[in-house]
Amino acid sequence: MRPFTYTRAKDATSASQSLANNPNARFLAGGTNLLDLMKEDVERPTSLVDIAELGLSDVKSITSGSNKGGISLGGLGKNTDAANHPLVRQHYPLLTQAILAGASGQIRNMATNGGNLMQRTRCPYFYEVAMPCNKRTPETGCGAKEGINRMHAIFGWSEQCVAVYPSDMAVALAALDAVIHVRNASGQERSIPIADFHRLPGNQPDRDTNLMHGELITSIELPQNRFAEKSYYLKVRDRASYAFALVSVAAALETEGNIIKKARIAMGGVAHKPWRALKAEQALIGKEATEANFRAAANAEMADAKPLSHNAFKVELGNRSIVLALQMALNGGKA
Amino acid sequence: MDATNKVTGTPISRIDGIAKVTGKAPYSMDHPVKNAAHAILFKSTVAAGTIREIDSTAAEKAPGVLAVITHKNAPKLNTKGGLRGGALLQSPDIEFYGQHIGIVVAETFEQARYASRLINVTYDKKEAKIDFEKVASQARLPKDKERADAKRGDVQSALTQATYKVEEVYETPIEHHHPLEPHAAIAEWNGDSVTLYSSAQIVNGAQGAAAATLNLKPEQVRIVSPYIGGGFGSKGGQWANLALAAVAAKHINRPVKLALTRQQMVNSVGMRQHNRQKISLAATSDGKLTALSHETVTHGAIENEFVEPCGDCSKIMYDTPNSLITYRVVPMNLIIPTYTRGPGKSTGSFAMESAIDELAYKLKMDPIAFRLKNEPARDPSNGKPWSSRTTVQCLSEGAKAFGWDKRKAEPRQNEQGNYWIGYGVSAGTYPAHQRPTSAVVKLKRTGDTVTATVELAAADLGTGTYTILTQTAADALGLSVQNVTVKIGDSNLPPAAGSVGSVGAASYANAVNDACEKITQELLSKSGKQFFVRPTASQLMRSEKLTEFQTRVDSKAPESAEEYSAHSFNANFAEVAVNKSTGMIRVNRFLAVTGAGKILNPKTARSQIIGGNVWGIGMALTEESVVDPRWGNFVTRSFADYHVPANLDIGHLDAIFINETDEHVNTLGVKGIGEVGIVGVAAAVANAVFNATGKRVRELPITPDKVL
Repeated sequence: MRPFTYTRAKDATSASQSLANNPNARFLAGGTNLLDLMKEDVERPTSLVDIAELGLSDVKSITSGSNKGGISLGGLGKNTDAANHPLVRQHYPLLTQAILAGASGQIRNMATNGGNLMQRTRCPYFYEVAMPCNKRTPETGCGAKEGINRMHAIFGWSEQCVAVYPSDMAVALAALDAVIHVRNASGQERSIPIADFHRLPGNQPDRDTNLMHGELITSIELPQNRFAEKSYYLKVRDRASYAFALVSVAAALETEGNIIKKARIAMGGVAHKPWRALKAEQALIGKEATEANFRAAANAEMADAKPLSHNAFKVELGNRSIVLALQMALNGGKA
Repeated sequence: MDATNKVTGTPISRIDGIAKVTGKAPYSMDHPVKNAAHAILFKSTVAAGTIREIDSTAAEKAPGVLAVITHKNAPKLNTKGGLRGGALLQSPDIEFYGQHIGIVVAETFEQARYASRLINVTYDKKEAKIDFEKVASQARLPKDKERADAKRGDVQSALTQATYKVEEVYETPIEHHHPLEPHAAIAEWNGDSVTLYSSAQIVNGAQGAAAATLNLKPEQVRIVSPYIGGGFGSKGGQWANLALAAVAAKHINRPVKLALTRQQMVNSVGMRQHNRQKISLAATSDGKLTALSHETVTHGAIENEFVEPCGDCSKIMYDTPNSLITYRVVPMNLIIPTYTRGPGKSTGSFAMESAIDELAYKLKMDPIAFRLKNEPARDPSNGKPWSSRTTVQCLSEGAKAFGWDKRKAEPRQNEQGNYWIGYGVSAGTYPAHQRPTSAVVKLKRTGDTVTATVELAAADLGTGTYTILTQTAADALGLSVQNVTVKIGDSNLPPAAGSVGSVGAASYANAVNDACEKITQELLSKSGKQFFVRPTASQLMRSEKLTEFQTRVDSKAPESAEEYSAHSFNANFAEVAVNKSTGMIRVNRFLAVTGAGKILNPKTARSQIIGGNVWGIGMALTEESVVDPRWGNFVTRSFADYHVPANLDIGHLDAIFINETDEHVNTLGVKGIGEVGIVGVAAAVANAVFNATGKRVRELPITPDKVL
């Protein structure tokens, strides 16, 4: 890898300041993605600021403010700890399932919650520096759009980029309307709804998120909800573990009798960001929780899909996956 | 302590197990060589053309860099020396994407890799053949005589006349071996001789090829390869990286460590080629085969061919009056394919055993009964008697153990919740050979304790060579396993066959047994006595009060073995569950029943068989190397993209060995199990997927999208 300086940050503000002073500096948390990308020469930071010892790792109940009654996950908490925390398991089993569907045990033990949100696409053209990729090197073209794109997007892609965002955790966060709290070098804090955190590629596919350089993810807040009893994370993939999603669906329902009061559906493996299936959700509100209605909802969403040369199957698979995930959610997560 | 019971055939644990799990077993890069520098290869980013210029100015100035070696300053090497795949930096010509075009040597690995990225290469590009779909029609007869058309009778007429027939095309993709230990070497020169610490499935083969390539005599090259972190064929023939490590070390006059990265593996050390196989079968209404043809189209490299023998199983598995086996190959700008576990047999059996299943279904016959009906009494390809053949036992004992009678003949009849359940079966085979191998046995006595050291340049792929040879020697000498030391993996030892083509166990164990037999005879002669009960070598060392004694044997297969057709056989049984909504497939149960003659160690043998099964399941469901047809690069370059099965993909595995004695194959009756474990596996899984869903997938791997 290219030479870089390494410093261990003592506090969050100085960590952010180190980044603010150098556009080519990066935070280093678990390193499960960044170090791989550095070895492949895709990421070329001149400075790494290690934030592993800043704390910011607790899972807590929120006792005041707009998300009172929800919980907060520290930005630097480990994925494994988030997945297994009793508050998460009890109130947000969807998130537990999604995190455990991702990566491997070893990687989840290292990877942080904030880092998970910041991971980059696994598009093979992005990963090979000899190939064109607008995300890695703007203006070089997209290798995947006319190339091998079985794993790529069917929603929201642009001429510049057809990559998909790889996280499972973030798909559940999208369904749960999570809020990302960040702090910059001046100590200013702001909160970003998950829906606005990641971007579609548009003309700037090199920008994955709306995070500003030097902003540090301090926590992820989950608002209180009544989805715990009826939620399910379905991940369809080429092998049973340690593979990225062909299609994944985070589904959550709140029902009264058999009538759907609230529905949340987010999809992974289909777009440059967690894809909130708002049309499908709309189609379900006030309806009976039946397979026919689930199918209609899935159709409403998937009708907008624009598949590429190798991934037309994702439209049918997405359809079926939405229906199955909703059925599983309705049955309390059981088949 | 002398042994009281025979240990051959018992499931003792690996002799080298503790060393491995405690990190004391040195793999290629682990050998403690002082003052070693680090080298990394850099590669072409075009698939065809000529290097116009390599600008390494910046790289040479980078911290720690000791040398940059390209075709402009590389020494003259012999490109016909026996290393596979070219890429020896002998010319500016580029024949495939990822061809080695240079070496950077630096004080550390990181410095070398960094500097390699500062190198700027310009090319004069040529049009490249990288899309199999576009060039397959240009395929022609291979140069290799072994791949000539093999014809008996008249397949075409039989097909025309038949009511029951199958004519289908089956595709298997490019696969990579991807052993966990990437190819790596430490090169250390001493005057005009070089030692190469590098994993080799054929120790003497690596020595010969490295020596010839470097324009040295074999005795000037020593290969040290005590442990191998997987090879699967990719470390059988050796590749350019082995010689280039020596070139780099010579260039800087220091030892050099050169390892490939995982991403570099895809175009450095061969691959299993894409095979397009057309199978035609015809049968009478009562299930007697009347025609069988197996026509394979595949690709080779630009300069050289390698055509894996997809039709080999088809040649001998079934009795039919009319048969045709053909191969056609087209050159492509990809690295040359090579031997990959169960070469030809694993891929060929997917096609043939799927087609057999398809025809059985059309005939409304149980696929086991259909196979049994067409069992050949002799080898149909050459008329020789079988040394032994266990297909019938494998199928019938397997059917019983697996609960085959619970299979529904029609698809979509076995439903469990949101899953379709299906059963599939296949049969397979792999040839059994013993290759010339020499061995030295050395006995030593201290007081009453006799110890033995057995030496031969054999290879242990991690499959148990150390263990089975210890067992063999212990029994043949009358010692306990604790008093036997096996030394292998070094070209300074007596020359041996390789751990390739399933010849390892038969070649090594028979040689060791012969050496022990010979030393016992020599001790008997030396004693000049007649014994009522023949004493062991150990007892003779004591009775003759000898402190040291040794002998050497050059062992080969008995001449009578040629009169027989000798093969291992198997039957595979798979139960799959297919998710009705998502198409995800799980292999709930897999049973392999194997007839492979004498099993020297049931524990290591089982591991080897289920290892082959897992790769076969990977072949069926997950593994595929994908080439971008515009540039010729692989887009599947890491374990994130190249999917080998994970634990969760594999349900319950079981292995049964047929208890058989093959009196003809070789002295010990050992047939070898390295390859047969993967043969037929993919077909058993594909047949089970059909039985579950009614969907016949003829293009591997069977990913969820193909069964939706």
